[in-house]
Amino acid sequence: MLKRLVFVLGAELLVAVLLAVVPMAVDNSFMLGLLTLLAIYGILLIGLDITVGYLGQVNLAQAAFLGIGAYTAGIVVSRFGFTLIPALFAATAVGCLFGRLLAFPALRLEGPQFALSTLSFMALTTTVLNELEFLTKGAEGLQVPRPPIFGFMLETKGFYWLCLIFFILVWIAMKNLLTSQWGRAFEALRDSPIATDAMGIGAHRHKAIAFTIGSGLGSLAGGLYAFSMQFLQPQVFVYELMVILLLGVVLGGRKSLWGVFVGSTIIVLLPNLLSNLLLFEIFSGIGFLFALVAGIRGMVSRTTKPFQAAAPIIAMGLLVTLGLFTSNIEDWRKAIFALMLFAVMVGLPEGLMGFASRYLAKLFRIDPLPFPEQAEISDVLIRQETDGRPLLVLQDLKKYFGGVKAIDGITISVNSGEIHGLIGPNGSGKSTVVNVISGLYAPTSGEILFHGKILVKGSLLKVAQLGISRTFQNLQIFSELPVIDNVMVAMKSIYQTSLPFVLLGLGQKSIRRAQSESLAILDMVGLRDEARTIAKDLPYGAQRLLEIARALARRPDLLILDEPAAGLSQPDVKKLLKIIRKINELGITIILIEHHMEVVSEMCHIVTVLDYGKVIAQGKPDEIKRNPAVIEAYLGFASEPEKKGTISRDAIPELS
Amino acid sequence: MDQIMVFQMMVSGAFMGLVYALVAYGFQLTYATGKSINFGQGELVMVSAFICLSLTNLGLPYGIMVLLGLLCGALLGLFVERSAVRLALEQKSEGWILLTIILGLLFFSVSENIWGRDDRPFPTPISSDAFQVFGISVTPVEISVAIGVFFIMGLIELFKRQTLLGKAFEAVSTDRDAAELMGISANRTVMLSYAISGVVAAMAGVLISPITTVGPTMASALVLKAFSVAVVAGLDSGFGVVAVGIFLGILESLTSYYIGSGWREVPGLTLLILALALRPTGIFGKAVIRKV
Repeated sequence: MLKRLVFVLGAELLVAVLLAVVPMAVDNSFMLGLLTLLAIYGILLIGLDITVGYLGQVNLAQAAFLGIGAYTAGIVVSRFGFTLIPALFAATAVGCLFGRLLAFPALRLEGPQFALSTLSFMALTTTVLNELEFLTKGAEGLQVPRPPIFGFMLETKGFYWLCLIFFILVWIAMKNLLTSQWGRAFEALRDSPIATDAMGIGAHRHKAIAFTIGSGLGSLAGGLYAFSMQFLQPQVFVYELMVILLLGVVLGGRKSLWGVFVGSTIIVLLPNLLSNLLLFEIFSGIGFLFALVAGIRGMVSRTTKPFQAAAPIIAMGLLVTLGLFTSNIEDWRKAIFALMLFAVMVGLPEGLMGFASRYLAKLFRIDPLPFPEQAEISDVLIRQETDGRPLLVLQDLKKYFGGVKAIDGITISVNSGEIHGLIGPNGSGKSTVVNVISGLYAPTSGEILFHGKILVKGSLLKVAQLGISRTFQNLQIFSELPVIDNVMVAMKSIYQTSLPFVLLGLGQKSIRRAQSESLAILDMVGLRDEARTIAKDLPYGAQRLLEIARALARRPDLLILDEPAAGLSQPDVKKLLKIIRKINELGITIILIEHHMEVVSEMCHIVTVLDYGKVIAQGKPDEIKRNPAVIEAYLGFASEPEKKGTISRDAIPELS
Repeated sequence: MDQIMVFQMMVSGAFMGLVYALVAYGFQLTYATGKSINFGQGELVMVSAFICLSLTNLGLPYGIMVLLGLLCGALLGLFVERSAVRLALEQKSEGWILLTIILGLLFFSVSENIWGRDDRPFPTPISSDAFQVFGISVTPVEISVAIGVFFIMGLIELFKRQTLLGKAFEAVSTDRDAAELMGISANRTVMLSYAISGVVAAMAGVLISPITTVGPTMASALVLKAFSVAVVAGLDSGFGVVAVGIFLGILESLTSYYIGSGWREVPGLTLLILALALRPTGIFGKAVIRKV
């Protein structure tokens, strides 16, 4: 604990103090300019890292937000005589506004479409900055006087300190945000937007907020940039700057404030590196050796693919050769950025800090923060009273996909407190029923009643918030998050701290409580000892249990388990059955979709059998097993099980 | 008189739009097989055009120059696939977006240093003396653009439908996993699609160079509009690109006539954002059913 305090906080404090006292020791305007730029780029890259690192989307608009902030600040100062703080406030507000607007289309998009929407936003911004000459003076450039702050005119040194203060404040606020529930939600969103909605977290809302904050920070940096440069031209905020910014984030290391710091240091120093051939040769030589050693080690230990090992060596080799054969490397600037970025992307995807932090953590043996005391499970999942009355009713529900009638008019009533089995051969419509109830699909027609009221249709999020929780047949765990965070992120109680308080670092208490409650739930499914494991490293069976634990964290009235036993080994199935029974004893109603007849007949109070989207039988498990219609649906012939017939479907349950 | 001017603008815009459609068609080819596109496609257009220019300066006849240029395009496409796309696709990550942007930047810088930063005229045997059709002047070069675009697109569609390799291409586009189970190598098909996409880019370079001249930045605006056309039409819908391309070409030509040439990029970019906001699968694309 003490060690952690000393090393983690100590390092931050040390760097902050160093950055603060440098101008007193060295009075050099060039140096001061670099430091100011470092603080500004630091803010800008922290904003970019939210989308690129935490949301995992390629954001090409950050250079545009720098421009929007810079021009807003410049215009309100030169036109309307704003002072410094109001001008920065205006810049940030305009950035947030445009960020929110851009988030509308970008919200629903992933991957290339997201990248394209941000790319065209950037191109649009450049055009507008160039063409709205009455506001921006176009290509001619805008003079921006540095305004006073609280009546004082800031000199170069004073302005640097101001930038540094902003950088430190942003750093602290982001550290609070990203270690809070919000940060977890951002990462959950990256791993599975569907599960983020199904766990009641809200994919759209969090994506919009993340993007807005990132854009606002970009524009805050832009405001500071305007007062630092005091002259703005549209052609600064273009494609090339954006590539440099991405280089900073990727090279420094995504999802890390220290990575951002390293990244901004590098991009601040880059132009100087390029103006001195000897310096360039030294650094590219070091990079080449690094790539060579890492590549050969990876090849020998067979941990990296040949391409991954060779490509960075070739890229860095090209850099060294370039330095040897050209006199003016400044001309090759873009190629140099490209080769560096390429080598890092392929060879060191976690960036310099990601790479270094693994070694640093080992070197100093910093233990993670200890968990709080585990809560009592009976306090976490409070026993619900059940009355045996209908909890969920499907009335003549239909879902067609074009001409395919996946569900063709089913009526089912699930009573409070029961385990209701839903079985049927492959393609009988079981999963579609689950997806319609949970809101992934809107039904073609029919009603769903929950607690006697009509349930919202076609919204995973709203259904989840009403108390229906589900697991997924094809796992949708938040694979990059630790096991305990997978559970915590689904807890309702912990969202009560509002954003401004989170930024100030409040709300730690609710996090501790969520932790202790999550431990109790993990204990119940037998994953207590894996709490710190990254979810994707869990064995398959454990990942299925984790899905159940996460669904339980919602404290649902109704839990839908979509083939929880699929792919489990026999001992795991036994464990699973115990867990399901325990959950049911807490008064939680369960819909169990299953192939294993053994599981169904052992667990379920009542079973509904589907075939071709219709209910073909309903009743107690024993009755179902003898029902001729069911036997025909499963085996393709009626009532003569000893005769060998043609088996029409691939799903043959173990009729035990 | 003014009306004729407007028609004139629309016709020239439409010819330009065909080129956007061609580059957009190149995006569709790679998106169909590998669900990825080359963000540096504009640089392929530009590099191929420069290579063609150099070949012409060597004294090669036009036809051979074009064939060699297309071959270079194919090789460049393969290079992009191998170095920027394959690894990311294997890791199921979206790193290819950044990596193709990076390669584009590399191509840009290399050509800037080899061929210089200035725009250069592109010699062509096709005359650019205008003739009048209903009072609107059309140049043979513009006609050659239309012929070239339809010729290459028709050829590729024919290849996809009539040859075994083309059918493998369609199979991977429809269902990658099923195609692999049938013994079709998805990797090779993705490679093939990048090679064809490179050919398409090179063709676009050959076709527009006589109109726009050749320079490092010749395709940076072009590629944005091609993105726009591809997304508005739908990244996985065949010939919709031609209609959308012509529409966009006309629209931007009118924009620059009525509002000012500085704003000519705006309609394309706005259309792109709007299309992404309202219908991410495009006008002609099919809605995707989310599966879990």
